[in-house]
Amino acid sequence: MDMLQTSIDGLMIGSTYALLGLSFALVFGIMRRINLAFGACLLFGASLAIYLEPILGWGAWGLFFVTIVGVALASAYVERLCFAPHSKRHGAVTAMIASFAVWMQLDEISSQLLPQRTHAFQGIEVPNLWWGEVFVRGDQLLHFVIALVSILVLYLLLYKTRLGLLIRATADSPETAHLLGARVPWLGFIIFLLAGILGGLAAFMILSADGYVTPLFGLWSTFKGLIAMIIGGVGSLTGAVIGGLILGLVETHAGAVLGAEFRDMVTFGLVFLVLIIRPGGLMGVKIYRTDSLAQERV
Amino acid sequence: MLSVNNLVTSYGLIKALKGVSLEAKKGAVTCILGPNGAGKTTLMFTLAGILAPDTGTVSLLDQNLTGLGAPKILRKGLALVPENRLVFPDLSVYENLLAGAFTQSRAMAAQVSDDIDKMYDRFPILKARHDQPAGNLSGGEQQMLALARALMSRPSILLMDEPSVGLSPLIVDEIFAIIKQLNEDGMSILLVEQNATKALQVADYFYLLDQGKVTFSGTPDQLKDDDIIKRAYLGGG
Ligand SMILES: Nc1ncnc2c1ncn2[C@@H]1O[C@H](COP(=O)(O)OP(=O)(O)OP(=O)(O)O)[C@@H](O)[C@H]1O
Ligand SMILES: [Mg+2]
Repeated sequence: MDMLQTSIDGLMIGSTYALLGLSFALVFGIMRRINLAFGACLLFGASLAIYLEPILGWGAWGLFFVTIVGVALASAYVERLCFAPHSKRHGAVTAMIASFAVWMQLDEISSQLLPQRTHAFQGIEVPNLWWGEVFVRGDQLLHFVIALVSILVLYLLLYKTRLGLLIRATADSPETAHLLGARVPWLGFIIFLLAGILGGLAAFMILSADGYVTPLFGLWSTFKGLIAMIIGGVGSLTGAVIGGLILGLVETHAGAVLGAEFRDMVTFGLVFLVLIIRPGGLMGVKIYRTDSLAQERV
Repeated sequence: MLSVNNLVTSYGLIKALKGVSLEAKKGAVTCILGPNGAGKTTLMFTLAGILAPDTGTVSLLDQNLTGLGAPKILRKGLALVPENRLVFPDLSVYENLLAGAFTQSRAMAAQVSDDIDKMYDRFPILKARHDQPAGNLSGGEQQMLALARALMSRPSILLMDEPSVGLSPLIVDEIFAIIKQLNEDGMSILLVEQNATKALQVADYFYLLDQGKVTFSGTPDQLKDDDIIKRAYLGGG
């Protein structure tokens, strides 16, 4: 019974990690870029939401929307400032370093918005559920459903629409896409905006489940997202979702069996194992081995 | 139908095309021969709007194409099958074909799916592999896919940059049979080739490009009679 309860908890948390991993995988899989300021964007969105909450007075839903909009704006800002000027093949490292600098900037803005270290973060009230012995927190179930729906929407957008085909074609070969008159203008902007929306959803879910936010949240979410992506497969969208779920499951089980202090150790052990056994991640092996483009563009 | 006048294109300070003029007639196969580095690809890229010329003009069926970007030129009826094929490796064969029809408006959806069926009739191998990633196809199959994808934009003239490069002789025969068939069905073709023997089987008119300049132009018979070309391209005198 405990196993089942722990697994359910793990999946609930894992679904939010999946969104974090997906944000990184989207940017890396399509743009071949890593945004180190990702977590800082999340922290900025959350700080803005808490800062504006007493002014707007929209309660938990206000936090929900402002967080998402704030993160998306910050993400788009980072793209314009750090990534758009270095969109050529060899700009990857320069762009990454620039994003590191903006990380500091966004962290500073966040601490100006929220001068104290810990701030309460209100969640959406949903009644909890009992299925026999199994307990499910209502808000986490809602988050799980929101995560699944957003993953589904992203999938439909990328694989079933004309814009999605354009995005994938441009990601696959920008030169050929240009030749066919099919290059997406503002592709980077669109991708960073999408990644920001996913990140904003994840930020709201995690913070409202925890009930508070601290300045360490940014760094923490960058870690979780990168780890989910690395486990699942660098640049693979499906991989990121699977990686996030695995990360959630492993963490909660490790916490339940070995105690909370071993949680992170087990996680890093898992990353270590993946890097040794399957350096491209679970789903990323094909990309890792054969995608010469990845090497060229990184 | 396609007329190119005094085209100059450069990479920085280096002029790769130094005043190229040529003419491709409607319904004909016009072939451009030339050694490596002659500027053939540069010419194709300039015609397709990927590179902008410094001076000179390009016109197709009395529409001025000079200085237009790639999407506009494609819409005006000039499609390029690039050198080394350049399919989208991670997209399926079907999606590659769809990508070829991007310039068609949304309203043409029915016509686009019609065209895809026609491509499957012409290239049965593409139908058999429609849901596989294009990167898994063989070189010859990718060449056919790149050709079919270019045709999806319903061009009035088709440019092909060295379609035989890196392919086995049997596949090259197949590609040239397809070029011939396309031409018999009424397509005007501007073909870049280094394989003059093969090109002689399909082409109606030849240009020789060397170091960014046209150094010869003439019919297949004139080409066969030219001593220099005979030695350089047709294997001996
Ligand atoms: N991107 C570039 N930057 C600078 N110079 C270039 C570039 N591309 C081509 N060149 C130069 O322009 C000239 C013509 O090149 P181009 O690729 O058009 O030749 P080509 O006839 O297509 O050769 P091949 O038969 O090898 O395909 C060459 O001297 C080449 O070095
Ligand atoms: Mg060439």
